[in-house]
Order: sequence, then C-alpha cells, then structure tokens
Amino acid sequence: MFPTFPLRLQTASNLLVAGFVRVQLVLNSYESSYGSFQSSASLIRKFLLVLPFACQFPLSAIGDDWPNWRGASRNGVSSEKDWQRNWPSDGPKIQWKANVGIGFSSVAVTNGRLYTMGNSDNRDAVICMDSKSGKVLWKHSYECPLDDRFFEGGPTSTPTIDGDRVYTLSRQGDLFCFDALAGTVHWSKNVAQDAEVRIPGWGFSSSPLVHEDRLILNVGESGISIDKNTGEILWQSGDAEAGYMTPHRLRIGEKWFALIASGKFYQCVNLETGKVAWKHRWLTTNGCNAADPIVVGDQVFISSGYGRGAAVLSFTESSAKVVWSNTDMQNQLNSSVLADGFLYGFDGDEGAEPQLKCMEFSTGEIRWSQAGFGAGSLMLADNQLIILSETGELTIAPVSNELFKASASAQVLEGKCWTVPVLSNACIYCRNAIGEVVCVDVSPQK
Amino acid sequence: MTLPRRNFIQSTLATGLLLGGAPSIHAASKAKKYRTALIGSGWWGMNILKEAMAAGNCQVVALADVDSDVLELAAEKVKSLSGDVPKTYQDVRELIDKEKIDIAIIATPDHWHALNAIAAIGAGAHVFVEKPTGHTIQESRAMLNAARAANRTVQVGLHRRIGPHYVSGMKFLKDGNVGDIGSVRMFVHSTGGAEKPAQNSQPPSNLNWDMYCGPAPLRPYCRKIHPGGFRNYLDFANGTLGDWGVHWLDQVLWWSEEKYPKKIFSSGGRPISGPAVFNEKEQTTDTPDSQIAVYEFESFTATWEHRKFAGNGLEKHSIGCYFYGTKGTFHMGWRDGWTFYPADSKQPTVHQDAQHDEPDGHSIKLLWSDFIAAIESGKKPTCDIEIGHLATNMSLLGMLSYKLGRSIEWDGAKEKIIGDEAANKLLRREYREPWKYPTS
Repeated sequence: MFPTFPLRLQTASNLLVAGFVRVQLVLNSYESSYGSFQSSASLIRKFLLVLPFACQFPLSAIGDDWPNWRGASRNGVSSEKDWQRNWPSDGPKIQWKANVGIGFSSVAVTNGRLYTMGNSDNRDAVICMDSKSGKVLWKHSYECPLDDRFFEGGPTSTPTIDGDRVYTLSRQGDLFCFDALAGTVHWSKNVAQDAEVRIPGWGFSSSPLVHEDRLILNVGESGISIDKNTGEILWQSGDAEAGYMTPHRLRIGEKWFALIASGKFYQCVNLETGKVAWKHRWLTTNGCNAADPIVVGDQVFISSGYGRGAAVLSFTESSAKVVWSNTDMQNQLNSSVLADGFLYGFDGDEGAEPQLKCMEFSTGEIRWSQAGFGAGSLMLADNQLIILSETGELTIAPVSNELFKASASAQVLEGKCWTVPVLSNACIYCRNAIGEVVCVDVSPQK
Repeated sequence: MTLPRRNFIQSTLATGLLLGGAPSIHAASKAKKYRTALIGSGWWGMNILKEAMAAGNCQVVALADVDSDVLELAAEKVKSLSGDVPKTYQDVRELIDKEKIDIAIIATPDHWHALNAIAAIGAGAHVFVEKPTGHTIQESRAMLNAARAANRTVQVGLHRRIGPHYVSGMKFLKDGNVGDIGSVRMFVHSTGGAEKPAQNSQPPSNLNWDMYCGPAPLRPYCRKIHPGGFRNYLDFANGTLGDWGVHWLDQVLWWSEEKYPKKIFSSGGRPISGPAVFNEKEQTTDTPDSQIAVYEFESFTATWEHRKFAGNGLEKHSIGCYFYGTKGTFHMGWRDGWTFYPADSKQPTVHQDAQHDEPDGHSIKLLWSDFIAAIESGKKPTCDIEIGHLATNMSLLGMLSYKLGRSIEWDGAKEKIIGDEAANKLLRREYREPWKYPTS
C-alpha cells in the first residue's frame, strides 16, 4: 500500500521501522534531497524522474499523514489529492470539535492518531486523539506557565512523530519523548536548564526536527542536538536568544546541515558537529525570526515581520550571499509555501492589515496581493492553497501566480486563529488560540 | 465657569498665524539642517524621528539606546529613509559629550526623561521630549528651569494641544456652546483580568539592563518590563494616570487656563490584577488597575478615573473628558472625535470626527513643525515645557495622594504640599549611584 521504492534515500535507522512510518520517512527524504540539488546535477535528474512516479501511488485511499510541523516534507506542502475542495453552500461537515487548551500548537497526524498541545490552569498538556472521532486516547500534563504576555500564551510548537515516539517541546524548554501509542514518558528533561541557555522572549517555539538518531531544536544561539533515545545532549550552542522558527534540514554535498535562525542571524549548522558553517545577519525587532526557510537547490528564502522583509540567499557549504532582498514579503507569524517557483504567504504584522501575497522566488517580485485574511496562515495540497484567516474562515483557492480566486470558503472557528490549518487523510484540522480544534471533513463525495 | 473671551481670541489668532505661516517657516527650515539625536530609539522614538526626517530639516547624527539590537535596527531605518548614517551609542552620556547636537528627541521610559533632557539642554540642544516630563515633580521642575536658564526650546509630546479636532473642540467649548461649565470628568477604561506573575530572567544579551534602570532601582529583569511594559512599573513610570492621564489632565488646564489644583485626593488599587508580586523568582506589574483622583480647583472640580476591566459598555465613550455645562455635556475624545450632547433633548448633537495623524492617532507632524517654528522664532512652542510640567504635575500629584492614601493640599506657586512633610518627600526620589538627582 505504501511506496517503499526509494530505499536508497532512506537511512539505516529508517529501515527498522514499521510500514506506516516509512511514508513519512520517504517524504522526508524529498526535503532532504532538496538540499543536494546544487551539489549533484544527477540527483536532480533522478529526483525529477521519481517525482511524477511518486504521485501515481494510491495514497488517496488513505491520504497523507502529517507527522510533524510543516508536514512530512517539512515545507507546508502535502501531496494528498483525494479531498473535497468544492463545498456545499452550508459549508463542509464538521466531523468533531474539541478543546485542547490555550495555545498555538498545530497538529501532527499519523496512523489515525492526532497529537497536539495546549495549556489549562498553567499546565501544558500533550494530547493524543483519535483523528477521526476526536476521542482523547491519552494525555500527559505538566506544570508550565501560560505566559500570556502580548498574546494568549500556551504552547507554540507542534509535536513531532518519529516511528513509535512523539517528541514535544514547551515554551519553557520542557522536552518530552513519549510512547506514541501508550503516552508513557520514555524520557524528559528541561533542555534550557540542562544546556544553561536562556529562554527567548516568547519562549521556545520550534518543533523538534529528527535527524537520524538525534533531535535538533532551536534552543540556544544556533540550536542544540539531543540523542533521541536517551535525551543526552550531543552538542549545544551558546547562551543567546533562540529564534522561533523550526530547524530546517538540508544536505550540501555529503553533509547534513540545518538552517537555524537566532534572533539575529539565519545560520547553517553542521548537524554532526553543531558548528556554524555560515551565518547571515538578519536582525529583527524583538529577535522575532519565526518563519521557516524555504530551500530550492542552493538557494533559500527567508522572511520576517516587523519591517524586516525577505531575501533569497544562495549558499555553499561555507558561505551565503544575497540574491535579492526587499520588504515586500514579511512573514511575521507563519511561513510561506512554494509552488512552481512562486511563494504564497502573509506579508505584514498582525494588527497592521497583513496581505496574502504571491511572490516570485527568483526575483522577489510581487504578482498579486489579497487583503481580508488578517494574520492568517496557509498550507498547500494538490495545487490548492488551504487558508485559515485570523478570524477562523477556512478558504480554498487554486494556486495561481496570476490572480487570487477562492473556490470555497466556510467559517469554521471563532476567535483568533494564528495556527496553520493541516490537511491529513481528508480532514482539515483548524485551531484557535483558546484551544478549540475542529476537524473539517473534506472526504471525497461518494 | 466662563472664560474671558479675549484670551480665546488671542489663542485662536496665534493658531491661525502659526498655520498660515507654516509654509514659509517650512521653506526656511529646509535651508537649516539641525544636527539631531534620538535618545530612546524604540518604536515611539522612531515614530517621532521619521516625522522629523520627513520634514526635511534635520540631519540625524546620533542614536542612543540601551538595547544594541534596537540601535542597529534604528540606524538601518534612518539610513534607508534619509541617507543619514547616525553614530550609535549605548551610553547616552557619550553621545552628549561627543556629538554637537542642535536637537535631542527624547523617547525613553519616564525615569530617564529629566537626566537626558537636562544633559541635552546643558550641551546647548533644543529638546523634543515625550510626556510626562518627569517621573517625580522636582525632576520636571529641574527640566523647566534648565530650559529657561539656557533659553532652549522644549516641546513636550502633548499632541492633544495641537491635533485639529482637539483645537476645534476647545474652540467650541471656549465659545460658550456648552454654557457655563461646572465640572469635568476624565476617564480611560479598558478590559482585563487577573494578572499572573512572570519569571524573572536574565536580560536579553543585547540589553544593557543596568543602563535601562539608570537612576531607578536595579530590579531583576522580567519580560513584563521590557520591551514595552515600563508604564506598569512604578520604578520607571506612573501607570495609567502617569500616561493617559497627562493628556486629559492637560485638556482641563488648557480649557480652564488654570495652572494647578488646590487640593487632590486619589484612591485606587489592584482589586482585579491582584496584589503586586515582587520577589527573587517572579514579579507582576505594580501600578493600580483602577483609580479615581479628584482635583479641586478654585472654581470647579475635575475627576479622573481609570479601570483596566469591564470596559465602558454603559456609556458612549471609553476614553476622554466630559465637560459638563449648563447647555449640555461635551465629550472630547480620541478616535471618536468630539461630540456635544445638548441638555435640551430637542436640540441636535454636534459632532466632529477625529482629525489627527497616524501612527497611533497622534499629530507628531504638527508638533514637529511647531517645534522648529518655535526654535526659529524664539517664541514658546504650543506644548512648551511649562505646559508639560503643569500637566505632568497633575498626574504625579494624583499618584502621590494614591501612594500616601490621603488628600493633599498643593501650593502650586511654591510647588510644595502644605503641612505634610512625608508628602513633600515624594516630590523627589532617591537616585541609584552614580546618577545624581537634578537640582533645580
């Protein structure tokens, strides 16, 4: 049922895990091989040959899992095709609703289980639910302040599923390794205390990145690496404010790196050693570098709000230089997605009438702007933008670099929605700040 | 109370002349490039500086801030907007020593206003300072005296004296349309709830926390304070009355042409926020979440009230002043402009929409051109330091009574509290070494 063909791209450890996890790992490998574009033309050709082939797999019967922040390919793009994007006039069916507690954590979904986080009464909870019914399967809570200064507070990172384990990080640095099925704690630690690094202003908000036998977190000046089986620190960085984006893995030549933003730099960090290969000054008001980078070959798109703007850098293993830079796309809270050479994302700070924009990756030129979503968020699936407005309106719009035209829209939540919607297995999961989660049924019409 | 009509005519004449004269002043100003420094280069300071740059009459030579990131971002912005490449200073003393500045814009937290303004005046600069003038009354007095002794122009950021709808509203009031006015009520209401303490933590690596605290006590850093929270800490500011209050108290002084009240009483607390927490581990803010202050003048009484809960759903307005007169109630507001509600229900209400500039519904552009015009003419600016001083004193006297828990009698001519030595001690504060409390 699941594709297992690109074994050459899998790491040894990936081979040990069960079939359902393999999908995730295979898709992870797409993202991984992105980073190797520039270093191996032959690999590009291989990739291009593989891609259309991959699309032919009968994923639609089950749809796609979404095992971590930004999805299996870690770029906010799902390859799920078989879902309903034309809705009846009264909107799509709401399969279930639940409250998971205050926060901005999005959802991770594998094997019929959904994982997210929330805060109630100054306790964070990691919650595992049946993804089709919303029934709580397990829940683990621990003391953690809501920390609601300037926003509603609560956790801002998303659980990461890796095989039979789930990894979570709180804003205060509480790092957990759970058994994905039973919810038992394999190990836990406070990573900020152990590494003796400070907590940035809004707390840690990166979602754990799994690389081989280790986790990479945006903690400290340029990240930290933790043994995923034991919780032991493998390497760490200096005591300075971390940024808020999630480390983004890429391969350059034969080596693995992660792009990690602090409050002042985007840095390319060697995953073996923790050494910073290069860094690019990117100072943003309040150290708020929150959007995830988008890598295409040997170029990377970075963006922040607060007047900072966006840039495309071209990089090698040891340096990076600016291809273009402007202030026309300022991703303050949520990241952009890339489709066919065009970026789609929210420009501008919350409260200052942000706009959804289409920007050409290669030039930084804006193709269109669309107001009316507030500080919204989006993902991409099967050439459709799935957009959640700041006020809870879910919109589907076909990707086009010529114009914006919504094909469906429905009010699915009230209140502030800053958390990106997630399509997985023909359900779109949306969440608001006070922790209401809705499962919007988009199964194909029979 | 009624106002002498003559005064009103003079003030409108002055305004008319100023506005009428603006183009030529503006043109003349362009020839002169004032060497300008910004002290406190965060959000608000940059808003002022942007207007100053846009006016085309200053060269930005220096920026100061205790946060190196803020400095770098501000310098980058200045360069992109004006082409100027300002020198940056984390220690304001160095800036004052090294740069021969003509103008200092001061937009630090309140507890730094007096030292910075007096140092800048001492170095020969004219000053644009945000309200309130001082954190304590004698600091403010020292600023006023320094400005007068050195014959420097000091404009205080009381944009509500110059914003068009405030000017037209005040004209409406002073023209007698509201009849004889017997009392004034000032208010600012918002929503909120209980406050939880936040952990003390190491200050950000880019922040010189010792310099941030400056003359104030060196308290543990906490994110509730910086960035953006100083107004809710009595070490650095004076809460809502010391912030919003200054604007609306000034409207009362502007209308009445009084300089100070005779008697002040204030009461309030933190019934909803909860008691202030301050220990080695964590802290809350410590300013009142609700407060009432009564200001007794020679011929009328004005009251202040603020609440950071419940909003003000029962009334038409949440922010501003009600002037109660024999002909009705006049509301001077902010984003809701001004409105007159006649006592005679058959009469129509009279309203004017808000007229002010952005950002934040202020009128920095007008304040700036008025400031430059005052420097060039040698006349006092619209929001002269004395006007700022008197309005600030009103708020600080309210805070003083709130802290003491008793009413005070104010000898405004001598700037002393009558027969209350404990109260007089609060007209100043102890500075932390090596900072010296300014002497007037």
